[in-house]
Amino acid sequence: MGTCLKKFAAFCLVLLWPIGVINLGIAQERTYIPTRTAAGEPDLNGIWQANNNAHWDIEAHSASAGPVLVLGALGAMPGGMGIVEGDNIPYLPDALATRNEHFANRLDRDPAIKCYLPGVPRATYMPYPFQIIQGAEHIMIVHEFAGAVRTIYMNEHTAAPADSWMGWSNGHWDGNTLVIETEGFNGMTWFDRAGNHHSDALRVVERITRRSEGTLIYEATMEDPNTFSRSWTIRMPLYKRIETNAEILEFRCVEFVEDLIYGQLQK
Amino acid sequence: MVHRQLNLREIVSGMLVGVFLASGVVTEISGQAGSGDYEVPRTAAGHPNLQGFWTNQTYISLERPENVDKAFYTEEEVSALEEGRAVNESAQTTPGTIPDVHYDFTQFGLDRSQATFARNLRTSLIVDPSNGRLPRMNAEGLARAEAVAEHRSRVGRWDSAQANQLDDRCMIMRGAGPPMLNAGYNSNYQIIQNRDYVMILVEMIHDARIIPLDGRSAPPERVGQWMGLARGHWDGDTLVVNTTNINGQNPINGSSQSMTVTERFTRVSDDAIDYRFTVDDPATWDRSWTAEMPMKKTIGPMFEHACHEGNYGLYNTLVGARLEERLERETSLRERQRR
Amino acid sequence: MAMREDSNYMRMNRFCLAAIVLVIGILVTGKTSIAHHAFSAEFDIEKPMTLKGTLVRWDMINPHSWFHIDVEGESGNTITWQIEGGSPNELIRNGVTKNTVEVGTVLSIEGYLAKDGTEKAVGRNFILEDGSRLFLGGSGQKAGGGQ
Repeated sequence: MGTCLKKFAAFCLVLLWPIGVINLGIAQERTYIPTRTAAGEPDLNGIWQANNNAHWDIEAHSASAGPVLVLGALGAMPGGMGIVEGDNIPYLPDALATRNEHFANRLDRDPAIKCYLPGVPRATYMPYPFQIIQGAEHIMIVHEFAGAVRTIYMNEHTAAPADSWMGWSNGHWDGNTLVIETEGFNGMTWFDRAGNHHSDALRVVERITRRSEGTLIYEATMEDPNTFSRSWTIRMPLYKRIETNAEILEFRCVEFVEDLIYGQLQK
Repeated sequence: MVHRQLNLREIVSGMLVGVFLASGVVTEISGQAGSGDYEVPRTAAGHPNLQGFWTNQTYISLERPENVDKAFYTEEEVSALEEGRAVNESAQTTPGTIPDVHYDFTQFGLDRSQATFARNLRTSLIVDPSNGRLPRMNAEGLARAEAVAEHRSRVGRWDSAQANQLDDRCMIMRGAGPPMLNAGYNSNYQIIQNRDYVMILVEMIHDARIIPLDGRSAPPERVGQWMGLARGHWDGDTLVVNTTNINGQNPINGSSQSMTVTERFTRVSDDAIDYRFTVDDPATWDRSWTAEMPMKKTIGPMFEHACHEGNYGLYNTLVGARLEERLERETSLRERQRR
Repeated sequence: MAMREDSNYMRMNRFCLAAIVLVIGILVTGKTSIAHHAFSAEFDIEKPMTLKGTLVRWDMINPHSWFHIDVEGESGNTITWQIEGGSPNELIRNGVTKNTVEVGTVLSIEGYLAKDGTEKAVGRNFILEDGSRLFLGGSGQKAGGGQ
């Protein structure tokens, strides 16, 4: 009788263990083991795109009218749950005032309107695809918007020789996670269309992990003592563009903005 | 390449050495695929490894010069050409002349003679037709060229941003490609590859050519791109890239949106890639033409060429042009009033 | 100014290379230096200038870098001039960084004034206090001097 009970108990344990574990709340998310590239690295290759409204405003916000009357509903800002952990960007007081001024004057001030390179991490969640191409010593991230390109130096890590729009990126693998540390920003980019901004002291640490065949988890931690009282993090999934003909097309926007920038200087 | 902080003195002496080395290096004559002995290094996917930083800088022009009718210079002739140009380029310009109204290329390392480049004994980049010159333009090409010239004669270059050249507008460089022709400076390319893609990043203006190797079909005709859309495959140890869907707005010597380009990349030594391309454009030439440009290994990095973002020059020039016009109007108004 | 054409050909050749050219029969095709024309539209060939000041900042940007130089005016005020230079990309390949030319470096500039009427110029020569030219210019040779 004792042995029978033990066997039954063991049987139940084996069968019900997963359920029990989940119910006890100590389950971990099922860990996806990414396929590997020919070089043996976790495979992040592909065309990816964010699918949220962070490009309007990375903080949680409700829908509101847009700044361009004739665009009507298509120019209005949809609501978003935000991608900032803790909901609020921890601005220093002056920087917050600047953010609000930026928002009020965003049609004049948003650098992306003028087809300027969008910076990091904004390029990641703008509503355009980008492609990750893993090479031997470099990983390239090529964005459709304005043809922005990021070189991620995987082996030779050096400091930024000079400031740039997309920053200077050094990357390494932490298990299956690609960690990218970027600095050397020129301070002229925004985080979104809502005026969220930073200085040239910005340092961004991104962590990119393949979550499934068709998704990545993307995190980015921002540090900028000129602008924020502490570091803060954004987090979102990125989705694979699985169409067989998916391709990064040109979005050479310079010619779309020449009248805007130079129009008043026409003869 | 390690970026340590160099003082100015070190940079000067370092570059002077570099100039001498660059001008003295002899590589394979373009067109001769490397000796059969070369074992090309391979990527993890088993393909020839083309990765790295490469330059196609050269003194050789696309077409054979008028008074030259042989296919190859001698070594001595090319040495004399290179040395002569180096002297020419490093010399001071004459004050009050147009070339003097410019920063000094030499100071910034932007002289061609200061660049890395492969020695090329050919008298032209074009190898077919065998006279080293472009085929004659057909009627359609000539008509289009005439229309362009006529338009240019009517529109002042400083009338607007759009009246300027594409490179002044920071839209795309002539010869960014395909085919990829050499720029006056910063004529560099970064090649990244894996099993499914080759990417060629053109330094100016950070153009990333992404070439899928998966044999996918050609794109819809309606999708025209400044650099077209490429499809690549390996032919033995040669990367073959076919580009279609070129929108024709950045022409090579009068080419049109009917242009298609086939490029072949073969690594022939540790520091050289043979780059060969064929241009087909039935709306411009009644036959195709082919050129070869040796690519030589160079160093990185390729710093972000954010041209449009820093294009103060175009803005300043337009301001200056409008100001000049206003001053002229005011001057002639005063003169009329005086009479 | 980005130079896709063979515009270096238009440099005034001070040295007589005619003999060499004839002997080897190589005619260097000179395409119009359209790029030079762009600069001579931005800056005034009739208004050469020199100034001396201290470096506030070197914007290492493309297509052309910009040097911000503080110059003391006659009445003791300080005016910040903006001087256009070349793309920094080749210098960066050779180890130059944003720390190479220190803030406060004394620089003499020979160049031409901008046509837009502001305190801008193109720097034909950037000269350090010891007379040497910035970066790869070598020493001594001044614009218009010698040969």
